[in-house]
Amino acid sequence: MALLVPCPNCGDREFSEFAYGGESNKRPAPGAPSRELARYLFFRKNVAGVQVEWWYHRDGCQRWLLARRDTRSNLIEEAYWPQEREAHRR
Amino acid sequence: MKRLPSSPSERLDRASPVSITMDGRLLPAFEGDTVGSAMAANGVVITGRSFKYHRPRGLRCMTGACASCMVTVDGVPNVRACLEPVRDAMVVRRQNAWPSVDRDLLGVFDLLDFALPAGFYYKAFHRPRFLWPLVEPIIRRLAGLGRVPSTVLSHDAQKVYLHPDVLVIGGGRAGLRAAIAVANAKKNTLLVEGRAELGGRTRSSANHAEAASLSAEAEQAGVRILLRTSALGAFEGGLVVAASEDVLYHIRPREIVIATGQIEQLPVFPNNDLPGIMTAEAVDRLLHLYRILPGAKAVVAAFGPKAQETAKALRAEGADVTIIDPKTEIIQAAAGRRRMQGVILKGPTGTRRLACDLLVVGGLGVPAAGLVPQMGGQLRFDEQIQALVAEGLPGHIRATGSVTGSARSGMAILPASSDAPGKQFTCVCMDVTKKEMVQAVAEGFDDIELLKRYTTLSMGPCQGKSCLPGSRQLTAALTGTTIAQTATTTSRPPWVPVSLGVLAAGSHTPRKETAMHDRHVEAGAEFMWAGDWRRPHHYQDPREECRAVHERVGLIDVSSLGKFRIKGEQVVTFLERLYPSRIGDMKVGRIRYGAMLNDQGVILDDGTLCRLAEDEFFITTTTGGTAGMEQWMRWWLADWGLDVQLVNLSGGYAAVNLAGPRSREVMQRLTELDVSAASLPYLASARGQVAGVPALILRIGFVGELSYEIHVPSAYGEHVWDAIMEAGREHGIAPFGLEAQRILRLEKQHIIVGQDTDALSTPYGAGLNWMVKLDKPDFLGRASLLTPDTEERLCGFIIDQGEVPPEGASVVHESRPVGRVTSSRWSGVQQAGVGMAWLPQAWAENGRPFEIVFSGKRSTGKVYLEPFYDPKGTRLRS
Repeated sequence: MALLVPCPNCGDREFSEFAYGGESNKRPAPGAPSRELARYLFFRKNVAGVQVEWWYHRDGCQRWLLARRDTRSNLIEEAYWPQEREAHRR
Repeated sequence: MKRLPSSPSERLDRASPVSITMDGRLLPAFEGDTVGSAMAANGVVITGRSFKYHRPRGLRCMTGACASCMVTVDGVPNVRACLEPVRDAMVVRRQNAWPSVDRDLLGVFDLLDFALPAGFYYKAFHRPRFLWPLVEPIIRRLAGLGRVPSTVLSHDAQKVYLHPDVLVIGGGRAGLRAAIAVANAKKNTLLVEGRAELGGRTRSSANHAEAASLSAEAEQAGVRILLRTSALGAFEGGLVVAASEDVLYHIRPREIVIATGQIEQLPVFPNNDLPGIMTAEAVDRLLHLYRILPGAKAVVAAFGPKAQETAKALRAEGADVTIIDPKTEIIQAAAGRRRMQGVILKGPTGTRRLACDLLVVGGLGVPAAGLVPQMGGQLRFDEQIQALVAEGLPGHIRATGSVTGSARSGMAILPASSDAPGKQFTCVCMDVTKKEMVQAVAEGFDDIELLKRYTTLSMGPCQGKSCLPGSRQLTAALTGTTIAQTATTTSRPPWVPVSLGVLAAGSHTPRKETAMHDRHVEAGAEFMWAGDWRRPHHYQDPREECRAVHERVGLIDVSSLGKFRIKGEQVVTFLERLYPSRIGDMKVGRIRYGAMLNDQGVILDDGTLCRLAEDEFFITTTTGGTAGMEQWMRWWLADWGLDVQLVNLSGGYAAVNLAGPRSREVMQRLTELDVSAASLPYLASARGQVAGVPALILRIGFVGELSYEIHVPSAYGEHVWDAIMEAGREHGIAPFGLEAQRILRLEKQHIIVGQDTDALSTPYGAGLNWMVKLDKPDFLGRASLLTPDTEERLCGFIIDQGEVPPEGASVVHESRPVGRVTSSRWSGVQQAGVGMAWLPQAWAENGRPFEIVFSGKRSTGKVYLEPFYDPKGTRLRS
């Protein structure tokens, strides 16, 4: 139940070493309708459950990672580099 | 009391004698003693005086649970003597007495109790109203505990983060067994124990060998053990905070075992606070750990089988022991003035008095379960076993041992009541008596929460640990309810006392100084905070510094700028997406101003980009934006997955800006490079030696004059500063600070991101339209900037009447605020107040008059849309 972030580079670390980047959400391609832009800029899903989010290991390796966290238990199931996100998509 | 012969159970190092001073008296002791045991070994019975009545108090629980033995140690008040280890030359003072603890004249309050009823603060000194402010300071002096030190006690504390698989709280038998089991299951196990030794009650019993072997086994199994470290509380996110004397631990375990044991309660009878009344556990600890016989003539009136063991141990050391069964013979009263002299017992066959100097009570343990509710569990009073039972803990938290209530003897906490004279304390810390509780209930305060607030019951240093269960039982009896119906008060962190110094551990305010800091100090600079940096505000009158820059040459330390090198095959792609400006067409060696935007089109930060090579750039950010921009750039690099490397050189390079009409002459003396206008024009860069040091020179200027920004390795910062000051001497060089820089840049209407812009400012509003290249296919902010915002515009203004308005002043139209001033200064070149303000877009035309209101005053000004100084920029480009 611990808020530990399993940094793929540094291992399990206290969350206070990290900056939180929020829900991972896809930036609209140029020319996307403004509704999509507004959703990307201003709306969050705010799920009670598992979501993928950005974390930056600010006081560690200074790398951005994606983590799958259950917002109810604060348990991070897995963390991976953004270039591996296709392999981790569910 | 004398020290008994050595025993394998003792925790003393008899080869290491130490001595402490108590109230001026030298007390010999051994390494391993606590202040309390050292006092006992030297025959000191009274450890302090009580909070309200100044009654003598002595050692009672020896476990830190009660607050009976608090003393001042080396100036730190309210230290529990029973747990505090002795150190050689320690200075101990007993508290709350005048003139001395042994002869306390303030003990007269014990006789004046009729004047100190329950709810005293709600009843006394209320009328006439002027009385209370006069009386309060006197009451505060007479009542209370140790004195807060008047000097700062330095305390080095640190913060440590731990992430064990399993955290075991409590190192008694149950905790050790649990720790051994989980450690043997290959789990990383941490055990915290508040006392200085493991084993709990087993350690101070005839079975002490079992405690020793369990401790050894735990160590063998790889359990990490922290002694004198107590868990204070549980918090959000599975955080458990623990503290030792000088370390604050933030522990995030995957599983928790609560093995905090139980706390012995004090039975209520007249004079139940006399020194010489101790719990069985306290006697056990004095005998086994410290080898002290606390009384020669003892009466043991404890419940349960442990009473026999304690009696046996006392006898073995030569005490004259009488065992009574407290179920059949009730303690009527304790007798004695400054310590136990006898006990009066009432049995089925009548009343008898036994002379004694030690009364052993006990067998009234209740679970030490304060952490249970904090961790999501509940405490329920089970009428069957007459104990609190921990329930409903989440799956990853377990409780084991006597904290679960299973080890209870099944006795009621309070023996039947006594009607003999003498004070019967229900709360020893705050001197609350049973009589006061009866009175409070009669006055209508018949709920434990109300009673607590009205009588101050359980609000003292022990926080109810040694009095609340009994008071709950008494409340139930007085109000005719059951204990289960008497709700208990909630225990909140900290569950054990912790010093503020330890809680403050790990809080640091960073303070950054540039490589040339000492030179600024020598030059008499006044410093200011700029983010984490200490930067010179001024060296002399800022107006003189401005004049030096305009007329001769000035030098400012800009080392705190964010500096980054960005290199890679896809560097242009990256920067084209990161900045709204065009980057790809920049020639090697050229410089461009750039602002970074977010996808809402809001300006995050600004600085310069210099192309060092086809695939390499040097960029600067603002002082305050450095960390945030690094994070921002790395985020997009990660998201876009581009082949680009980013290195933060902010600390690695020192930088200065040499500005003024004579700066070229100064530069020419320092470098072989050609720094003429033809070879190094405005917005060009050069790399080479400056003052014999490798440097990057940028022809840019924030202050509006011909200027050179020089970046050198930090180690040479001071050398380069000195060399420039020396080379500039004949030209009248002057160092200038942030204040002069702010005046000079305002005269040029150069914006400061974060001061002149806010979280809604786009390049359109800030007058930076020229940098937005919407014909680029994509950049951060482009989609939002396709729809131009037209509401507000950042405009320069000049005051024509009135004072210079402060930054933040309102621009007012028809009595309504329509804009705000973001920057303002007195301009030497305009001989007028000038500034920048956000105004309605329609007002953005030269000469438009408007009104500014601030703190009841008003000024009038006019819009001024071009720089106040050198509007054509010929000096900057010269």
